Amino acid sequence: MRDTGESPLEPDLVRRARSGRGPAREALGRVVGRTAYVFALQLTRSPDAALDVAQDSALRFFEHIDRFDADRAIEPWLYQIVRNRVRDLARRESLRRHDSLDAWIAGRPLEIADPDPGPPDEVERLELQRRIWGAISGLSDDHREILILRDHHGLPYREIAEIMSIPVGTVMSRLHAARTRLRDELADEGGRTRKGDEDHE
Amino acid sequence: MNEPHRFDEHLLSGYLDGELTQGDAQRVRLHLEECPDCRRTLEEIRNIKEATMSTEFRLPPDDQWNEAPRSGASGMLRTFGWAIALAWFIGIVGYALWRAATDAEDLLAAVLVFGFWLGFLLLFLSVLIDRIKASKTDRYRKVEK
Repeated sequence: MRDTGESPLEPDLVRRARSGRGPAREALGRVVGRTAYVFALQLTRSPDAALDVAQDSALRFFEHIDRFDADRAIEPWLYQIVRNRVRDLARRESLRRHDSLDAWIAGRPLEIADPDPGPPDEVERLELQRRIWGAISGLSDDHREILILRDHHGLPYREIAEIMSIPVGTVMSRLHAARTRLRDELADEGGRTRKGDEDHE
Repeated sequence: MNEPHRFDEHLLSGYLDGELTQGDAQRVRLHLEECPDCRRTLEEIRNIKEATMSTEFRLPPDDQWNEAPRSGASGMLRTFGWAIALAWFIGIVGYALWRAATDAEDLLAAVLVFGFWLGFLLLFLSVLIDRIKASKTDRYRKVEK
Protein backbone atom coordinates (compact mmCIF):
# COMPACT_ATOMS: atom_id res chain seq x y z
CA MET A 1 0.00 0.00 0.00
CA ARG A 2 1.11 3.49 -0.69
CA ASP A 3 0.69 6.94 0.60
CA THR A 4 -1.68 8.36 -1.96
CA GLY A 5 -0.81 11.97 -1.34
CA GLU A 6 -4.54 12.82 -1.30
CA SER A 7 -5.81 15.77 0.69
CA PRO A 8 -6.84 13.78 3.72
CA LEU A 9 -8.96 15.61 6.23
CA GLU A 10 -11.87 16.90 4.20
CA PRO A 11 -14.07 19.14 6.40
CA ASP A 12 -17.20 17.32 5.29
CA LEU A 13 -15.81 13.93 6.30
CA VAL A 14 -14.73 15.37 9.66
CA ARG A 15 -18.21 16.85 10.23
CA ARG A 16 -19.95 13.56 9.40
CA ALA A 17 -17.54 11.58 11.54
CA ARG A 18 -18.15 13.86 14.51
CA SER A 19 -21.80 12.93 14.56
CA GLY A 20 -21.10 9.35 15.65
CA ARG A 21 -19.96 5.94 14.49
CA GLY A 22 -20.53 4.56 11.05
CA PRO A 23 -18.72 4.56 7.71
CA ALA A 24 -17.66 8.21 7.96
CA ARG A 25 -15.96 7.65 11.28
CA GLU A 26 -14.22 4.53 10.02
CA ALA A 27 -13.11 6.34 6.86
CA LEU A 28 -11.76 9.22 8.91
CA GLY A 29 -10.01 6.72 11.17
CA ARG A 30 -8.17 5.28 8.18
CA VAL A 31 -7.22 8.71 6.84
CA VAL A 32 -6.02 9.91 10.23
CA GLY A 33 -4.07 6.69 10.79
CA ARG A 34 -2.35 6.84 7.41
CA THR A 35 -1.53 10.54 7.67
CA ALA A 36 -0.18 10.14 11.19
CA TYR A 37 1.82 7.05 10.16
CA VAL A 38 3.57 8.72 7.24
CA PHE A 39 4.50 11.80 9.28
CA ALA A 40 5.66 9.66 12.20
CA LEU A 41 7.69 7.45 9.85
CA GLN A 42 9.36 10.50 8.36
CA LEU A 43 10.27 11.79 11.81
CA THR A 44 11.27 8.52 13.48
CA ARG A 45 12.48 6.52 10.46
CA SER A 46 11.26 3.45 12.31
CA PRO A 47 8.13 1.68 11.01
CA ASP A 48 7.45 0.05 14.38
CA ALA A 49 7.69 3.33 16.27
CA ALA A 50 5.66 5.07 13.55
CA LEU A 51 2.86 2.53 13.88
CA ASP A 52 2.75 2.96 17.65
CA VAL A 53 2.75 6.73 17.32
CA ALA A 54 0.06 6.66 14.61
CA GLN A 55 -2.27 4.43 16.61
CA ASP A 56 -1.78 6.47 19.76
CA SER A 57 -2.26 9.74 17.85
CA ALA A 58 -5.44 8.47 16.18
CA LEU A 59 -6.81 7.48 19.57
CA ARG A 60 -6.13 10.91 21.01
CA PHE A 61 -7.50 12.59 17.90
CA PHE A 62 -10.84 10.80 18.29
CA GLU A 63 -10.94 11.28 22.06
CA HIS A 64 -10.97 15.04 21.58
CA ILE A 65 -12.56 15.50 18.17
CA ASP A 66 -16.00 16.23 19.62
CA ARG A 67 -14.61 19.13 21.60
CA PHE A 68 -12.44 20.53 18.82
CA ASP A 69 -13.42 23.96 17.50
CA ALA A 70 -15.01 23.19 14.13
CA ASP A 71 -14.00 26.59 12.74
CA ARG A 72 -10.31 25.83 13.05
CA ALA A 73 -8.27 23.82 10.53
CA ILE A 74 -7.95 20.29 11.79
CA GLU A 75 -4.73 19.25 10.00
CA PRO A 76 -2.37 21.31 12.21
CA TRP A 77 -3.94 19.74 15.25
CA LEU A 78 -3.30 16.19 13.99
CA TYR A 79 0.29 16.97 12.96
CA GLN A 80 0.83 18.64 16.32
CA ILE A 81 -0.39 15.52 18.13
CA VAL A 82 1.96 13.32 16.09
CA ARG A 83 4.90 15.66 16.61
CA ASN A 84 4.19 15.70 20.31
CA ARG A 85 3.95 11.90 20.49
CA VAL A 86 7.25 11.51 18.62
CA ARG A 87 8.97 13.93 20.99
CA ASP A 88 7.51 12.09 23.98
CA LEU A 89 8.83 8.84 22.56
CA ALA A 90 12.25 10.35 21.91
CA ARG A 91 12.37 11.65 25.47
CA ARG A 92 11.51 8.24 26.90
CA GLU A 93 13.90 6.21 24.83
CA SER A 94 16.48 6.56 22.15
CA LEU A 95 14.74 5.56 19.00
CA ARG A 96 16.44 2.78 17.16
CA ARG A 97 16.30 4.41 13.79
CA HIS A 98 16.84 2.97 10.40
CA ASP A 99 19.72 4.55 8.56
CA SER A 100 17.37 6.17 6.12
CA LEU A 101 13.90 5.99 4.71
CA ASP A 102 15.06 4.28 1.53
CA ALA A 103 13.43 0.97 2.31
CA TRP A 104 10.06 2.61 2.96
CA ILE A 105 9.79 4.68 -0.16
CA ALA A 106 7.24 2.93 -2.30
CA GLY A 107 8.35 2.18 -5.80
CA ARG A 108 10.42 -0.14 -7.84
CA PRO A 109 13.38 -1.26 -5.71
CA LEU A 110 16.40 -0.01 -7.59
CA GLU A 111 18.79 -2.20 -5.69
CA ILE A 112 17.18 -5.36 -7.02
CA ALA A 113 18.08 -6.39 -10.54
CA ASP A 114 14.93 -6.22 -12.57
CA PRO A 115 14.55 -7.32 -16.17
CA ASP A 116 12.13 -4.43 -16.65
CA PRO A 117 13.56 -1.46 -14.78
CA GLY A 118 10.77 0.84 -15.98
CA PRO A 119 10.96 4.10 -17.90
CA PRO A 120 14.27 5.93 -17.40
CA ASP A 121 12.49 9.04 -16.09
CA GLU A 122 10.77 6.98 -13.42
CA VAL A 123 14.02 5.32 -12.33
CA GLU A 124 15.75 8.69 -12.19
CA ARG A 125 12.91 10.21 -10.17
CA LEU A 126 13.01 7.39 -7.61
CA GLU A 127 16.77 7.70 -7.34
CA LEU A 128 16.44 11.44 -6.69
CA GLN A 129 13.74 10.81 -4.08
CA ARG A 130 15.93 8.29 -2.27
CA ARG A 131 18.84 10.72 -2.23
CA ILE A 132 16.60 13.54 -1.00
CA TRP A 133 15.10 11.53 1.87
CA GLY A 134 18.55 10.27 2.81
CA ALA A 135 19.72 13.89 3.04
CA ILE A 136 16.57 14.98 4.92
CA SER A 137 17.48 12.46 7.62
CA GLY A 138 20.65 14.46 8.22
CA LEU A 139 18.92 17.80 8.81
CA SER A 140 18.33 19.24 12.27
CA ASP A 141 14.94 18.41 13.87
CA ASP A 142 13.51 21.88 13.21
CA HIS A 143 14.63 21.95 9.60
CA ARG A 144 13.48 18.40 8.96
CA GLU A 145 10.03 18.95 10.44
CA ILE A 146 9.40 22.19 8.62
CA LEU A 147 10.57 20.82 5.28
CA ILE A 148 8.48 17.67 5.59
CA LEU A 149 5.36 19.58 6.61
CA ARG A 150 5.66 21.95 3.66
CA ASP A 151 7.27 19.94 0.88
CA HIS A 152 5.64 16.57 1.47
CA HIS A 153 2.40 17.30 3.30
CA GLY A 154 1.85 20.66 1.59
CA LEU A 155 0.77 22.63 4.66
CA PRO A 156 0.54 26.42 4.31
CA TYR A 157 3.01 28.54 6.30
CA ARG A 158 0.26 29.70 8.67
CA GLU A 159 -0.54 26.14 9.74
CA ILE A 160 3.13 25.20 10.09
CA ALA A 161 3.59 28.28 12.27
CA GLU A 162 0.71 27.08 14.43
CA ILE A 163 2.15 23.57 14.76
CA MET A 164 5.64 24.77 15.63
CA SER A 165 4.56 27.81 17.67
CA ILE A 166 6.73 30.20 15.67
CA PRO A 167 5.95 33.29 13.54
CA VAL A 168 5.11 32.85 9.86
CA GLY A 169 8.23 34.80 8.86
CA THR A 170 10.37 32.34 10.78
CA VAL A 171 8.69 29.48 8.93
CA MET A 172 9.78 31.03 5.62
CA SER A 173 13.36 31.68 6.70
CA ARG A 174 13.80 28.25 8.32
CA LEU A 175 12.23 26.52 5.35
CA HIS A 176 14.55 28.29 2.95
CA ALA A 177 17.54 27.44 5.13
CA ALA A 178 16.43 23.79 5.15
CA ARG A 179 15.99 23.72 1.38
CA THR A 180 19.34 25.29 0.60
CA ARG A 181 21.03 23.03 3.14
CA LEU A 182 19.43 20.04 1.45
CA ARG A 183 20.48 21.30 -1.97
CA ASP A 184 24.07 21.71 -0.77
CA GLU A 185 24.06 18.21 0.77
CA LEU A 186 22.84 16.71 -2.49
CA ALA A 187 25.43 18.65 -4.46
CA ASP A 188 28.21 17.49 -2.10
CA GLU A 189 26.98 13.92 -2.32
CA GLY A 190 26.84 14.15 -6.11
CA GLY A 191 30.40 15.49 -6.13
CA ARG A 192 31.59 12.65 -3.91
CA THR A 193 29.84 10.08 -6.09
CA ARG A 194 31.34 11.50 -9.27
CA LYS A 195 34.81 11.57 -7.69
CA GLY A 196 34.37 7.94 -6.56
CA ASP A 197 33.37 6.91 -10.05
CA GLU A 198 36.39 8.68 -11.56
CA ASP A 199 38.71 7.01 -9.05
CA HIS A 200 37.37 3.62 -10.05
CA GLU A 201 37.95 4.26 -13.75
CA MET B 1 28.82 43.30 -2.72
CA ASN B 2 26.78 43.39 -5.90
CA GLU B 3 23.33 44.90 -5.78
CA PRO B 4 21.49 41.65 -6.60
CA HIS B 5 22.97 39.87 -3.56
CA ARG B 6 21.47 42.36 -1.14
CA PHE B 7 18.26 40.55 -1.89
CA ASP B 8 16.74 38.53 0.97
CA GLU B 9 17.00 34.99 -0.38
CA HIS B 10 14.33 33.67 1.99
CA LEU B 11 11.79 35.36 -0.24
CA LEU B 12 12.59 32.79 -2.93
CA SER B 13 10.94 30.05 -0.88
CA GLY B 14 7.95 32.24 -0.15
CA TYR B 15 7.73 33.01 -3.88
CA LEU B 16 7.96 29.34 -4.82
CA ASP B 17 5.19 28.47 -2.36
CA GLY B 18 2.92 31.35 -3.35
CA GLU B 19 3.08 32.74 0.19
CA LEU B 20 4.23 36.30 -0.56
CA THR B 21 2.20 39.47 -0.73
CA GLN B 22 1.64 40.87 -4.19
CA GLY B 23 4.30 43.52 -3.61
CA ASP B 24 6.95 41.09 -2.43
CA ALA B 25 6.18 38.67 -5.26
CA GLN B 26 6.65 41.50 -7.77
CA ARG B 27 9.95 42.44 -6.10
CA VAL B 28 11.15 38.82 -6.43
CA ARG B 29 10.09 38.67 -10.10
CA LEU B 30 12.06 41.83 -10.88
CA HIS B 31 15.08 40.54 -9.01
CA LEU B 32 14.99 37.18 -10.80
CA GLU B 33 15.13 38.92 -14.15
CA GLU B 34 18.55 40.30 -13.32
CA CYS B 35 20.06 37.62 -11.03
CA PRO B 36 21.08 34.28 -12.57
CA ASP B 37 22.25 32.94 -9.17
CA CYS B 38 18.81 33.34 -7.66
CA ARG B 39 17.16 31.90 -10.78
CA ARG B 40 19.35 28.83 -10.39
CA THR B 41 18.60 28.57 -6.67
CA LEU B 42 14.88 28.83 -7.34
CA GLU B 43 15.08 26.10 -9.96
CA GLU B 44 17.06 23.82 -7.65
CA ILE B 45 14.71 24.15 -4.69
CA ARG B 46 11.72 23.75 -7.02
CA ASN B 47 13.11 20.40 -8.23
CA ILE B 48 13.72 19.26 -4.66
CA LYS B 49 10.24 20.30 -3.62
CA GLU B 50 8.59 18.46 -6.50
CA ALA B 51 10.52 15.26 -5.84
CA THR B 52 9.79 15.46 -2.11
CA MET B 53 6.10 16.15 -2.64
CA SER B 54 5.66 13.23 -5.05
CA THR B 55 7.37 10.62 -2.86
CA GLU B 56 5.11 7.78 -1.81
CA PHE B 57 5.70 5.68 1.28
CA ARG B 58 4.70 2.12 2.01
CA LEU B 59 1.84 1.95 4.44
CA PRO B 60 0.76 -0.79 6.82
CA PRO B 61 -2.24 -2.86 5.68
CA ASP B 62 -5.63 -1.19 5.99
CA ASP B 63 -6.72 -3.54 8.77
CA GLN B 64 -4.45 -1.55 11.09
CA TRP B 65 -7.03 1.22 10.96
CA ASN B 66 -10.18 -0.86 10.58
CA GLU B 67 -11.15 -0.77 14.21
CA ALA B 68 -13.62 2.05 14.46
CA PRO B 69 -12.47 4.73 16.88
CA ARG B 70 -14.40 5.02 20.10
CA SER B 71 -17.49 7.20 20.06
CA GLY B 72 -18.14 9.84 22.71
CA ALA B 73 -20.50 7.46 24.54
CA SER B 74 -17.96 4.64 24.77
CA GLY B 75 -15.29 7.13 25.84
CA MET B 76 -17.57 8.32 28.64
CA LEU B 77 -18.23 4.74 29.75
CA ARG B 78 -14.53 4.07 29.82
CA THR B 79 -13.95 7.14 31.99
CA PHE B 80 -16.62 5.95 34.45
CA GLY B 81 -15.13 2.46 34.37
CA TRP B 82 -11.69 3.78 35.26
CA ALA B 83 -13.14 5.95 38.04
CA ILE B 84 -14.96 2.99 39.60
CA ALA B 85 -11.93 0.71 39.27
CA LEU B 86 -9.70 3.37 40.84
CA ALA B 87 -12.13 3.91 43.74
CA TRP B 88 -12.27 0.16 44.32
CA PHE B 89 -8.48 -0.10 44.24
CA ILE B 90 -8.04 2.76 46.70
CA GLY B 91 -10.71 1.24 49.00
CA ILE B 92 -9.13 -2.21 48.96
CA VAL B 93 -5.63 -0.88 49.53
CA GLY B 94 -6.82 1.41 52.31
CA TYR B 95 -8.70 -1.41 53.98
CA ALA B 96 -5.73 -3.78 53.69
CA LEU B 97 -3.38 -1.19 55.12
CA TRP B 98 -5.75 -0.43 57.98
CA ARG B 99 -6.16 -4.13 58.80
CA ALA B 100 -2.45 -4.77 58.53
CA ALA B 101 -1.63 -1.82 60.79
CA THR B 102 -4.28 -2.58 63.46
CA ASP B 103 -4.21 -6.38 63.56
CA ALA B 104 -1.22 -7.25 65.73
CA GLU B 105 -1.81 -11.01 65.58
CA ASP B 106 0.54 -11.55 62.69
CA LEU B 107 3.22 -8.89 62.83
CA LEU B 108 5.34 -10.45 60.07
CA ALA B 109 2.41 -10.48 57.65
CA ALA B 110 1.62 -6.87 58.57
CA VAL B 111 5.20 -5.81 57.87
CA LEU B 112 5.23 -7.68 54.56
CA VAL B 113 1.94 -6.24 53.36
CA PHE B 114 2.63 -2.77 54.67
CA GLY B 115 6.16 -2.75 53.22
CA PHE B 116 4.97 -3.83 49.79
CA TRP B 117 2.29 -1.17 49.54
CA LEU B 118 4.53 1.51 51.01
CA GLY B 119 7.18 0.73 48.38
CA PHE B 120 4.56 0.71 45.65
CA LEU B 121 3.16 4.02 46.87
CA LEU B 122 6.60 5.66 46.95
CA LEU B 123 7.36 4.47 43.41
CA PHE B 124 4.01 5.80 42.23
CA LEU B 125 4.63 9.14 43.92
CA SER B 126 8.09 9.48 42.36
CA VAL B 127 6.67 8.91 38.87
CA LEU B 128 3.82 11.32 39.59
CA ILE B 129 6.22 14.05 40.74
CA ASP B 130 8.35 13.64 37.61
CA ARG B 131 5.25 13.80 35.41
CA ILE B 132 3.98 16.96 37.10
CA LYS B 133 7.38 18.63 36.79
CA ALA B 134 7.68 17.61 33.13
CA SER B 135 4.20 18.87 32.33
CA LYS B 136 5.06 22.34 33.69
CA THR B 137 8.05 22.73 31.41
CA ASP B 138 6.73 20.87 28.38
CA ARG B 139 6.26 23.41 25.59
CA TYR B 140 3.90 21.02 23.80
CA ARG B 141 1.55 20.51 26.74
CA LYS B 142 -1.18 22.54 25.07
CA VAL B 143 -1.27 20.35 22.02
CA GLU B 144 -4.18 18.12 22.94
CA LYS B 145 -6.95 20.49 23.84
